[in-house]
Amino acid sequence: MLRKTVDIVDNNNQVTGKVAVLNAPEKRSDEWSLLLISVGEDRDRQAFAQLFNHFAPLLKSFAQANRHQGWFPGLSEDLVQEVMIKVWQKAAGYNSEKASATTWIYTVARNCRIDMLRRKSNTQHLPLENEDYWHEPDEDTPVSLLRQKRSESKVQESLSQLPKEQDEILRKVYLEGKSHAEASEELGLPLGTVKSRVRLALQKMQILVSPEYQDELTHE
Amino acid sequence: MSKHLTHHPDKAMLIEFAAGTLGTAESICVSAHLHFCEQCRTELMRLEQVGSQLMTEAEPAIIDDKLFDTVMAKIDHAEAAEQPAVVVSEQPVAGFPLAVSKLIKNKDYTPIWKRLSASVDIARFKTGQKDFEVALHRICAGGKTPKHDHHGLEYTVVLKGSFSDESAVYKEGDFLTRQPGDVHQPMGAQNGECICLSALEAPIKLTNPLGFLMKPLLRISPM
Repeated sequence: MLRKTVDIVDNNNQVTGKVAVLNAPEKRSDEWSLLLISVGEDRDRQAFAQLFNHFAPLLKSFAQANRHQGWFPGLSEDLVQEVMIKVWQKAAGYNSEKASATTWIYTVARNCRIDMLRRKSNTQHLPLENEDYWHEPDEDTPVSLLRQKRSESKVQESLSQLPKEQDEILRKVYLEGKSHAEASEELGLPLGTVKSRVRLALQKMQILVSPEYQDELTHE
Repeated sequence: MSKHLTHHPDKAMLIEFAAGTLGTAESICVSAHLHFCEQCRTELMRLEQVGSQLMTEAEPAIIDDKLFDTVMAKIDHAEAAEQPAVVVSEQPVAGFPLAVSKLIKNKDYTPIWKRLSASVDIARFKTGQKDFEVALHRICAGGKTPKHDHHGLEYTVVLKGSFSDESAVYKEGDFLTRQPGDVHQPMGAQNGECICLSALEAPIKLTNPLGFLMKPLLRISPM
């Protein structure tokens, strides 16, 4: 990790100490992120084709997993198209310091899925577009970026170590698109049990780490 | 941006927000809180990484050979049809979350301040859903609101200023959840007006035979 030190200066401009700060985070170097950057910066069709070949089958599978009552199989290919078109159009706004290409594309897919469901159930013009909800107000600090990178590499490993029932509930929540209430109904479990199972899984993966959460855990 | 807020949305809400299954009104409130809360933004990012990992682990589906060409054709078509951009960038309301700002400037429905009590005004938003009434509340400096309880869930996010009730002081970005039956009496801070975003759950059914008499008192109108 690259570090440099910066002087701590008091009100009278006296140096009272030194503190290590992180340098600007290095650019993400995984293959998909580099391709996505090429699409954004150079409108590179070859790079886009490679992204398409990798992500389109995953996106279709993501769409097919959706168990929302308003969803039907014909929408799956529409979702793939809509997401990949958005990837092309929005690639210039992709910031590789904030997220991997995979996570970025997941958020595009999630938002498209919500949009398609909202459009189906609502004929009137909606005042908010999906992206408005996920708008980021300012640049996050390097500290949180570092935390984010570290956790991204851990997610894969920790996911594979989850007990079956926790793994299952996460799939229901993320892939099948079930709310906690819907999952509780389907599994015949109290809502509180579903909520705590989801939280336990995410806590085990060290996704949820804030202090008030630790308090809740000790009560279970 | 305040970094150390004490009142956050329930984890389950943040998880549903990350998975894209949270309702519209609740999402507006969570989104408003995220504008102020770096801790929850970091957590959201991690929750999205989980979704992304689950997506990539799935068995890839078979894609029609022609789909890539179809997508490229649509992209080219859209780019050819693109009008030279007339940039009329709406300035967001200073300090307000983007989603709230857009609801305030909604061209299809302009929210208007209406008096709710001597010290509270309300401006209702149109959000295209029927489960919650989404609105801004404005409490004047030092204003006392009537003691009230809730017939449904209520989410509140402080957008400007602060207010307090019997148990705490709530500052910009703080997210409150009130359960049905919670009784409280919010009071605006002495040093200035307080503006909050709120989502109030519409009562499903009034079981009391005289329930129809209560309806005007509840004054809830989701839209």
